Parts: sequence; structure tokens; C-alpha cells
Amino acid sequence: MNATLSFAPVVAERDVEVISRPSLSYWKDAWIRLKANRRALTSLYIIIALGLFTVVGPLLPFVPSSSTQDLDQISSPPGADRTATIVAPYAPWSGVTVNVPAGDGPLEAPASVSLAGEATTQAVRIFWDPVPGAHGYRVYRNIAHPAPDDALGMPLADVLVASRVSFEDRLDIKPQDYFYSVVPLDRNGREAPVYATVDVSAVRVVTAEEAVRRGLADSAADLAIGDEVRLALHLLGTDYLGRDMLSRLMHGARVSLFIGIVAPFLFILVGILYGSAAGFVGGRVDQVLMRFADFVVALPFLLFMILFRILFKIEGGDSGIAPMLIAMVILSWPAAARLVRGQILQIREEGYVSASRLLGAKTPYLVLRHMIPNTMGVILVTITFAVPSAIFTEAFLSFIGMGVAPPTPSWGSMCNEGLKTMLTHPHELIFPALFISITVLAFNLLGDGLRDALDARMRSQE
Amino acid sequence: MNTLTDQVAPTLLEVRDLEVEFDTYGGTVHAVRGVSFDVHAGKTLAIVGESGCGKSVTVQSIMGLIPSPPGRIVAGTAKLRGREIVDGETIDGDIVRGSEIGMIFQDPMTSLNPTMTIGDQIAETLQVHRGFSHGQALARAAELLEMTRINEPRRRARQYPFEFSGGMLQRSMIAMAIACGPSILIADEPTTALDVTIQSQILDLLRDLQQQNNMAIILITHDLGVVARMADEVAVMYAGEFLETGTADDIFYNSAHPYTVGLKAAMPTNRDESEQDLMPIDGSPPDLFAPPPGCAYFARCPHAMEACQNDPPPAFPVGSGHATRCWLHHADCPRRTEALHYAAPIEGGDT
Amino acid sequence: MIRYTIKRLIQGVITVWFIATATFMAMHSVPGDPLMNDKAISEEIRKNLEAQYGLDKPIIEQYGIYLWNMVRGDFGISFAQENRRVNDIIREHFPISAILGILAIAFAGLGGILFGALTARYRNQMPDIVIMFLVILGISVPSFVFAALGQLALVKLNAFFGISILPVAGWGTLSHMIAPSLVLGLGTMAFLTRLMRSSMLEIVSSDYVRTARSKGLPPTRIFLRHELRNAILPVVTVLGPSIAAITTGGFVVELVFAIPGLGRYFVQAVQQLDYTVIMGTTVFYGAFLVFMVIVVDLLYGLIDPRVRLE
Repeated sequence: MNATLSFAPVVAERDVEVISRPSLSYWKDAWIRLKANRRALTSLYIIIALGLFTVVGPLLPFVPSSSTQDLDQISSPPGADRTATIVAPYAPWSGVTVNVPAGDGPLEAPASVSLAGEATTQAVRIFWDPVPGAHGYRVYRNIAHPAPDDALGMPLADVLVASRVSFEDRLDIKPQDYFYSVVPLDRNGREAPVYATVDVSAVRVVTAEEAVRRGLADSAADLAIGDEVRLALHLLGTDYLGRDMLSRLMHGARVSLFIGIVAPFLFILVGILYGSAAGFVGGRVDQVLMRFADFVVALPFLLFMILFRILFKIEGGDSGIAPMLIAMVILSWPAAARLVRGQILQIREEGYVSASRLLGAKTPYLVLRHMIPNTMGVILVTITFAVPSAIFTEAFLSFIGMGVAPPTPSWGSMCNEGLKTMLTHPHELIFPALFISITVLAFNLLGDGLRDALDARMRSQE
Repeated sequence: MNTLTDQVAPTLLEVRDLEVEFDTYGGTVHAVRGVSFDVHAGKTLAIVGESGCGKSVTVQSIMGLIPSPPGRIVAGTAKLRGREIVDGETIDGDIVRGSEIGMIFQDPMTSLNPTMTIGDQIAETLQVHRGFSHGQALARAAELLEMTRINEPRRRARQYPFEFSGGMLQRSMIAMAIACGPSILIADEPTTALDVTIQSQILDLLRDLQQQNNMAIILITHDLGVVARMADEVAVMYAGEFLETGTADDIFYNSAHPYTVGLKAAMPTNRDESEQDLMPIDGSPPDLFAPPPGCAYFARCPHAMEACQNDPPPAFPVGSGHATRCWLHHADCPRRTEALHYAAPIEGGDT
Repeated sequence: MIRYTIKRLIQGVITVWFIATATFMAMHSVPGDPLMNDKAISEEIRKNLEAQYGLDKPIIEQYGIYLWNMVRGDFGISFAQENRRVNDIIREHFPISAILGILAIAFAGLGGILFGALTARYRNQMPDIVIMFLVILGISVPSFVFAALGQLALVKLNAFFGISILPVAGWGTLSHMIAPSLVLGLGTMAFLTRLMRSSMLEIVSSDYVRTARSKGLPPTRIFLRHELRNAILPVVTVLGPSIAAITTGGFVVELVFAIPGLGRYFVQAVQQLDYTVIMGTTVFYGAFLVFMVIVVDLLYGLIDPRVRLE
């Protein structure tokens, strides 16, 4: 080792101090930090996509109008079978009549219940084995199997001729599975505690004439019995009135996003004016203004949203968006006002403001150069976090029926409607709920990202 | 490598070749790169160096306070009275910590639990290590507060940290650290956060307690004034290494490393005859993500030689118990004689 | 502390007065009057009804009577159900909402503290990643969606196992309370978990926890006496707003789960425009929330000596 050592002095310049990073402006730096945050960036893309969904979506060729009702496809889930078979026009059915074997003792269940012909949305025809001693039969229809707790469903009809052992159902049949149950009746028309069930799968059919009338085919002449036609496409299915879910979600997004974005902007604007007035004037005026703001803050928010909503009576044809916006602004500005006032009071005391003033800066310059840039970050973050809560508020009010008036769709009111058919057609609830959640999630994550990027002091621990 | 062995006092703690690393997003930080030292009963060892040189990490690793992850002890041993306390990554700490070794920290304002009374915080050490009942421990806590010169110790023991001043908090910290009568007290910049008169009182208190209990103190500081006042032995730390070790006199009057000389030149004095300006050391310490292959001080050293760039200097003994890691002390170095004096930077070196 | 309590109580009373006045003003500026809904009533009956409800008096006098009644704790008689006093409605239905709310807040608080501490302990490891993913979902899903999907899931579960694991709707037994209070507490729990996590992360790396470790205390003691207690403080400060969130969230959960609580009654009253019930319950809920916030603040004082002793 010693052999290689050289004790000659090093004379060359050595870099003792290297500044490796170029200096960046505040916003540029914030943007770089935001871009590095994958979650926030993804959220930003999602929000842009939602904007496009709302604005451009309804113009797409496969998106029908949001108010057109497709009566063939009511509450149909996405991906449901859309084929309809052409059938002959309805022809009456004479039914099945047999000789009734006499009998006494307790009534038994029919030995079997069978389907006559094919079950279609035009008609479902069933017949059963006669029950000795029965004086009639009652026919029930259910959409689930009655087995576990003998839930037979809706009573369709009483067949009060003992020899008739058939029934034709033409009551609003949907292309789905039905369970028909037959209960024998005694001479007094009382039900016996037994029943027999048949499982029927109804096929969607349409007559040639009707297919043409509904625009499914061009002319009846082209259609033969047994041909298949396809019903209109609904990518995300339809709601309980047969309206296209995708289209309603797009239009609903307009309401939800409009309120969610405009309301925060408005109340933060009011808050900025009020708060900066209080902050700049100071003294007694400031005291009085902020006391008042304290009281408004103490009002229970949603209760007063409801009160205001009652206050602004909605006439027929109004959407109810404006009253909701006004109420939100009236109730939400104080938080923003407090924030802005606090910021102004704080910045006014900062060393760099004093330094700037010492150098001869005038008030407008101070406001433009120091106050606004230094509060912008906080305000931007506040707006981003106010959006999800405004969307929540709209959804909540619409959900309890105090928000947007029908038929205007909003995600909240769609959830409200979806709740009614939740058990049978969950897609009507799940889609709007999903959209609310994704939007709120995106704004929350973007808000986190913005806060981290804009303000190192507010940086979260995540 | 025994550098501080001429003492008559028995050796309490032997630390050898300690290496500590931290895994961060930017890479691995080699915070402590092989330090060795001994601590003797009743003596004060001062570890002095700039911020970020690894002084605190060194003592925290002995106390098992390195958060893991990201920190880990890569190599080295620490023996307390012959018993190994640094075992791989953590120390067999709970028995040693708080009982055999006490520790006080830089900022007493944030180093005490804000929601517990001072008395309870002192008492819990006694309850855990000495099996005292709560009542006994509280009574003892008041005595300890009295020992650390706090007035009305009984009343004070029932108060919360926010009701204390900074100096009183540091006294309480000391009371807490010595509660179990430890043989070593580690003081990590104990006076940095305090104003000058309080600093002086705290240092006096430490001195007195040391004499009463024959306690060893490891004092971490960046203040050479504090070193001069307190230390028996000194280690000068830079970029995770001890560049020079020796007695306080060796370090102050017979400095053997250019860095020590630089530190001294940067220290304000009140002697009139030195009309020299304060001499800052140019540059900043090396990046510990990628420590330089040779001498850590190479980039800033006014005497840098070609050998310094790529070959790490070993510790050269320069006197009894005095050693330094500097190629200037190599037998073959032509400027050795000059180097030992350091009246002025050597010709040809840049300042 | 006593002075502080008195001050807060006075502030609270003023706030409740403000709420009552705002409610009164809001309800009296509704175009038309409450009796307009019953269309076919003769002038005479109308007069009688107005007299019965005191609507024929000048507005200032109505306000005076209204305030006096509020002070006496008399909220009047329901418009929709003429023989029921609003007080009786509140007395009958509020306890149900209160039980639901207490269960939900207990669940949210305990869950939030537990999961928050857990995620902080296993920071960036599997439990943390999984829980924080759920937390972000929990914060982004409205309470009524939780309620509806929770109920849907329960129906499917019960059907899948062929037995009733938990009742899907209704009220009465403890088993009826579990699902709705879980659902009601979820959003708040997510929020509290997040708060607790960041608070805990800050505290485990704090100087005083390092001090506690340097004293050689056992880990459980450090966790309980030094970390947990300090980490809970920020969670306690947001309990007030959380109670408000759970109260209003209760409206929809009661609606979805068919629970006969005051929240559901309130929503129904709103839909039927039952003015006295709306006014009475709004003021009642307002007062309730204002005083809950005061209670939470005083509670905070008990935990944090810095607040208690100043």
C-alpha cells in the first residue's frame, strides 16, 4: 500500500460546493411534485374523463336520449339478452278441461303442473293434474322459488270451475324466470295448505306488426315467424321506467358535477370577499363580521339545507338546481372566510411582507405579489376538498327527495330511485352509487396530491 | 485499536468498529462508518462535530434508539462491563436502557410527554427497573427533582411539562435519566436549545452529579466551548468517522488533524491578541449516500494530497492516547513535521 | 375550567337562539302558508285553523310566542297528525335514533383508533395498504350508499346461508341494531382511521416517545401511556363534527332500514311539509348538536392537561 501512496499536494480546484438543482418557481415546482404523485395524476385523468363523459357522452351515436322510455326493456340489467322472436299475433287459448275425480278427505297438491306450449312474453299457459275433491284452484306467480318459506308471490287468479285445470297468464310478462304455484280450493273457496310449482322461463317475443311499429324492423313483410330481431342497445341497462341508464348517468353527471364544482367556487368566492374584508379592515368590524360567521358555522348544515330547500318552493318544470346552489353558498361561505382571513392576518405579519414594505412596495403590489400567490395554494386545496362534500350534499338531498326535482336526473336521485328496485335490479342503484364514489374518490386523492404539492407545511403523512 | 487507554479509571463501555446505515428512498446512508471508543467511570467523553456527522446516531445506536427500519447496525460491538449490548440490529436494551445508561436529549420542550405529569414520567422508570410502587417512586421523583435543583419539588412533580420553563424541563430530564443511578449518562446536545445562562447552570449540574455518583458522561455537542469546559476525552467526528481522538488537552493544544484545526479556527474567542477573523471551513460535508473512497475531509482539506483522494487513512498514534486519521502523519509523508504544527496552511494548498 | 364551561354554555345558548330564529324566519318566508296544502277548505275553517295555530297574529307576536314556547320546551302540535304533540314525537322517536347514533359513534371511534394504530404500526406493509385502501373507499362512499348496499349484501347473505344472520330491517332487538349502526359508522370510521394513522405516525417518531424508549420502558407501556393517549387527542377534537355527520347520516340509514327513529320521522315530515315537526326537530337537533360539540370540547379538556389548566 505504501508503495502506491503519493504525498504530492492536490492543487487543482475541487468542487466543494455544488448546487445540483436549478431554482424553480412555486407553481412549476408544485406541478412537478403533482406529476410525481401517481394517485393524484390518475385522479386528474379520471376527472377529465368524467368531464368528457358529461359533455361529449350524450352526443355519441349509441347513447339514446335520457328521457325516452324503452317499454320492452324495463329495469333490464347491462348485458341482458336483447333478442326478440317474431311470433304470430295472439290467438286465444281454449284451455284444458278434464273430468274431476270425486274425492273426500284433505285436498292434496296437484300431482304436477306443466307448461303448455312455449312460455313467451305474450302469454304463459300452464295446466295441472286435477286434484280429487277440489272445487277450484288459485294460481300464484313469484319471481323467486317459493321453497324456503312458502312465499308463493302474487295471486294471479282463481279458477273456480272444478273441471278446468289450466290457466293463461298475460299479465305484464317480462323475459325472465317465473314460478307458478297452484293451490287447490275447497268448496268454500278456502285454500288447502298444499301447492305445486312449475318453473317457467319466459322468452321475449314480438309480433311482426309490433316490431315494425317499434322500429325494430323496416317492414313486416321481411319478417317470418321464428325470425329474431334485436331490441335497442342499452350499454348499462335501463331503469324502472325503461330509460337508458348510461344516458341518465351522463345527464345526471351534469347536475352532480355542476353543483359539485360551481357551489364551492361560489361560496369560496364569497368567503374570499368576506374574509379579506374582515382581514384588511380589522378591529371592531373584523370582530363583528367573524362573530356572525361563527354563528353561521354553528348552524347544522344539512338541516338548514333541507329548510332552505323547502323555503325555495320548486314550481313544476324547475330542476331545483338553483335553490340548492344558493342554499349551499349561504351556509358554506364562513369556513372559507375564516380561512382567508386567517391567511391574510398571518401573511401580513410575515417578514417578507415587512421587507417588501420597507423597500417601498405599495398595497396593491403587496396584494398581487405576496397575498394572492401565498393564499392561492390553500384556497385551491380547499376548493378541491369542497367538491366532494358538495357532491355528497347534493346526493344526500336528492336521495331523501329534497334535491333535484324529477325528471331531471342526478346521481343522488338515481340512487333514490334505484333503492326501490334494489333487491331485484341492483344495477339501478349500483351504477349511480359507483359514479358518486369514483368522483368523490378522484377529487379526494387530487386534493391530497395538491395539498402535498402546493404546501410543504400541510404535507400529509402518507 | 485502543486509543484512549492511558486512564487509570476502569473502562465501562467499549465500542468497536460500529457501523450504522439507514435505508432511504434516495439510497443507503452510511451514517456511522466504523467508530471505536472507550468510556471510563467518572470521566466525560465529548463527541464533537458538525450537524449530520453521525454523533447522535452513534449514541442512539448504543441505546437501541435507531428506528428500524430504516436504520440498522451493520457491524460492530458495544460491551458494557464486558457484556455485549449491541447484538446485531438491536440491543438487549430494556435492562440497560434507563437503568445502566441514562440519556438526555437536545430539546427538553418536546422530549417530555405533554399529557403526563413530570413526577409520573420520572417515577415510571423506577417502577419498571427498580420495582418501586407508584407512591415510593413518586416520593423518589420529588427527591430527584430536588437533587437537580428544582424548587418545591413535590408541587412541581404534580405539574405537566407545559408548566415548566426550558431549563427546568432539562433538569427534569436529567432527574429522569439518573433516577436509577446509571453508570453512564448520555447527553445529546443537552444545552443547544437553552439560553446561555441556563446552559451554564445545566453544565454545572451535570458536573456535580458526575462527581457525586462517579458517573461517566458521553457528551454530544458541536460547541467547542462546552467541550473545553466539560470533557476529559474528546473524539472529533466527521462524516461518520472519528478523525481525531485524544484528551481535551491533546485536541485543543496539540491538534493533529486539519479538521480539528479548522474547527478551532472557526470558533469565536474573546482573546484580544487574535486579530484574525473567524475562519469558516469552505464547502460542506460529503454526501453520505456515497462516501468518498479516501479521506472524508479530502474535498475541504487545505493540506489535501493525492493519497488522500482514494486511500482511507488509518489511525496514526500521535501521542499517548492521542490518534488521528490523517495521511500527514504517515512515516513517509514529507511534510509530517510541518503538519504537526499547523501554524499556517502549507504552501501550495488552497484555502 | 369552570369559567370556560360557563362561557361555552352561554355561547351555546346564543347559538341555539340563532338557530331557532333562523328556522322561524326560514319557515315564515315560505311563499303562501302551511294551510295552502289542504286545498278545499272554506274561509271559515281556514280562519279557525289559523287561530288554532296562531297564524292570524302579527309576525312579531308569533315570534315571541314561538320563542317562549321553545324556552318552555314546547314545540307545538303536528300539522299532519293533528292529535300528536311534537314533544311526544321527539320523546318517542329520539331515543331510538340516539341508541343507533351512540352505537355508530362507538363503533366508528373504537374502529378508527384500532385501525389507525394498526396501520401506523405496520406502515407501508400489507395491513396498512389494505386498510388504507378500504379507508379511501370509505371516505368516498356516501352514507346512503353504504346503507343500501349493506342491506342488499345482508339480503344476499341471508339468502345464501338460508338463515337469517341479521335482520334486514326493523328495530327492537340488539340484532336489529348491529347492521344499521355498522353501516352508519363506516364513513366516520374511515375518516377517524385516517386521522388516527397520521396522528400516530407523528407521535411514534416524536421526541418524547424516543425519551420513553431511552428509559427502557416495555413496548406495551410506551404504546398505552405515551403513544396512544397523545395520538387520540386529534381524534377527540373531531368527534363533535363526527356526531353531526352521524346524526344526519342516521336520517337515511333509518329510512333504508325502516327504523322508527326521529331521523326517519324528520325526513317524512320534510316530505309532507309538516311545518311544526320540521321546526321543532330542526331546533331540537340544532340544540343537540351544539351541546354535543360543547360536551366534546369539555371532554377534550379532561384528556389534555394543556387545555384543562388554562
